[in-house]
Amino acid sequence: MPLRVRLTLWYGTALALILIIFSTVLYVITARSLRDAVDQSLEETAAVAVRSLEERGFLPLIDETELMSQFPELARIDKFFQIFSPSGTITIRSPNVKQHEMPLSRQALEVASSGHTLFESAKYPKEPPLRLISVPIIYRGSLLYIVQVGTTMDSVEQTLNRLLLVLLVSMPVALAVSLVGGWFMAGRALRPVDAITLAAQRIAGGDLTQRLTAPASADEIGRLTNTFNDMIDRLETSFRQIRQFSSDASHELRTPLTVMRGETELALRRPRETDDYKIVLESNLEEIDRMTRIVDELLFLSRADMGEVKMEHLPVQLDLLIEDVHRQASLLGQERDIQVVLSATTSAVVLGDELRLRELFLNLLDNAVKYSRPSGTVDIALTIYQGQARVSVTDHGIGIAQEDQPQIFDRFYRTDIARAHTKKGTGLGLAICAWIAESHRGEIEVQSQVGEGSTFIVTLPLASASA
Amino acid sequence: MRILVIEDETKVGCFIKRALEEESYAVDLCEDGAKGLQMAFATNYDLLIVDLMLPSLPGLDVLKGVRQAKIQTPILILTAQSQVDQRVKGLDAGADDYLTKPFAIDELLARIRALLRRGATEGSGVLQIDDLILNPATREVTRDGQRIDLTSKEYALLEYLMRHTGRVLTRPMISEHVWNQDFDTFTNVIDVYVNYLRNKIDRGRSKKLIHTIRGSGYMLKAD
Repeated sequence: MPLRVRLTLWYGTALALILIIFSTVLYVITARSLRDAVDQSLEETAAVAVRSLEERGFLPLIDETELMSQFPELARIDKFFQIFSPSGTITIRSPNVKQHEMPLSRQALEVASSGHTLFESAKYPKEPPLRLISVPIIYRGSLLYIVQVGTTMDSVEQTLNRLLLVLLVSMPVALAVSLVGGWFMAGRALRPVDAITLAAQRIAGGDLTQRLTAPASADEIGRLTNTFNDMIDRLETSFRQIRQFSSDASHELRTPLTVMRGETELALRRPRETDDYKIVLESNLEEIDRMTRIVDELLFLSRADMGEVKMEHLPVQLDLLIEDVHRQASLLGQERDIQVVLSATTSAVVLGDELRLRELFLNLLDNAVKYSRPSGTVDIALTIYQGQARVSVTDHGIGIAQEDQPQIFDRFYRTDIARAHTKKGTGLGLAICAWIAESHRGEIEVQSQVGEGSTFIVTLPLASASA
Repeated sequence: MRILVIEDETKVGCFIKRALEEESYAVDLCEDGAKGLQMAFATNYDLLIVDLMLPSLPGLDVLKGVRQAKIQTPILILTAQSQVDQRVKGLDAGADDYLTKPFAIDELLARIRALLRRGATEGSGVLQIDDLILNPATREVTRDGQRIDLTSKEYALLEYLMRHTGRVLTRPMISEHVWNQDFDTFTNVIDVYVNYLRNKIDRGRSKKLIHTIRGSGYMLKAD
């Protein structure tokens, strides 16, 4: 069932219940207060009658004329008056009850005998209902008379019937009007939801550039719209990243394929010298190495993304590791006449995976050596800074432009210079470095000036601090 | 036919250059976008081959720069991206054709022939003047049905002459289209090669096709 129908039904049911309760209470209270008013008026009239009988010394009244002159309020048409002897026989009565015999009821007689006043309702055929009060007059302990005053309930009943009619007619009308109103209001309130649904369908269809037009209000729908738009923003960003990534990956893999295919085809176009074939095969081998490295690193990164790379969490003596890495890098540097200097070291223990950390620092040193000018120097230093182990690798090479710095840890990001400088790079090394640093709850950052060199700084939490 | 290749992957550029040279094209190779654009401005190339991903100036901007300078040279773009929008952008920016890496050398050569043909004559691409016929696809040259064997440079020179029959071709024009940037224009190499061609094409025939225009250069015509 659509939400709109359900909302309207709930609303209608609640309103109907409220109307029924309200009407019932209104009817009951009105009926009671009208009857109470009748009873009070009867009681007052009876009291006046009793008082005037007392003034007359309880002498029996002779005739109706006397009665009427004694009780002028009896001239009012809506009340009648009867006086009974203690045995229940009528001694006198007002003229407006002539046409009916209205004997004192048994109950009235009994209650009067015990000296109490009684209200009762009576109904005669073809007559409006009556309301009666019977008051005993007791003089020196004995019952002298019973005064009975009565009135028709005609107007009360009519008022109540009219009220009931009004309530019965107006209640469904009010209910219908408010159901229609509720239906429209629910529709209005739900219209933005429909808009969101439509937009979501378009977005599910693949169009991530779609946005919801945000309503000006800060209500629930406004918040939902904003949340929704934020979500699409993030989706779009990550889709773009994925697309960029796969496009970069395919580009990086296509280049070695192009080289291999082109060189091989060229070699096969006509007979060549043996040395020419050798050159092609050697070149192909280089490209195969390059592709292998790209595929390995891509696999590593995607497994890292999936959380499938196992990481040790063992204490690692960082200073020993750095010394070892420094020895290895010195050998790398010798080939290009570059000195690798361990300029500072201190005892430090971090929790982590020794192999991965070794890879991280070797990668940084390898880069530093690659981008150094011939016969330059590369510094590596281990210090404790603000309670964390801090390893910095500094080269005095070509440096990295300010605008490239935020992106160098992105996958496949290579500056134009890097692309021209090291043809063998995969563009994934620093991305892996960043991942290793982050998975040790550490950080990696770069400081660089074009033409002066770069410093890569890795900070790692110390084992004692984290344990 | 002189071709400029702007490609930053050294190995890719090198094998393209070698393949084209084996087909008798004169080839200049450039690894940088901005420098490539300067070269395209400086020399009247017959064809440009541009990689879309280049350092210093993206291939798309090279394309736009060339077209803004009202240079109508056919341009073939190379791209490692297989996405349609990249190719559409390249074609809209003024490229005439594209190839996606990795590509077959035969296809590259066929597309180059097609692009060069588009500028000159219509038809299948076979060039003919009088009874001299040159087929760029097979690189076969015949005169009066007889096969003529030419060296690579001789072939290139003849192809250039045949694509511009009836027009005076100066020595600088010939050097610019048949030799690459390493060629020293102050030698008589052009005259030497024209003589080689004459020996193979006109010698012993009553009708001479290669004419010397004194003080200017050479012309290929039927009468």
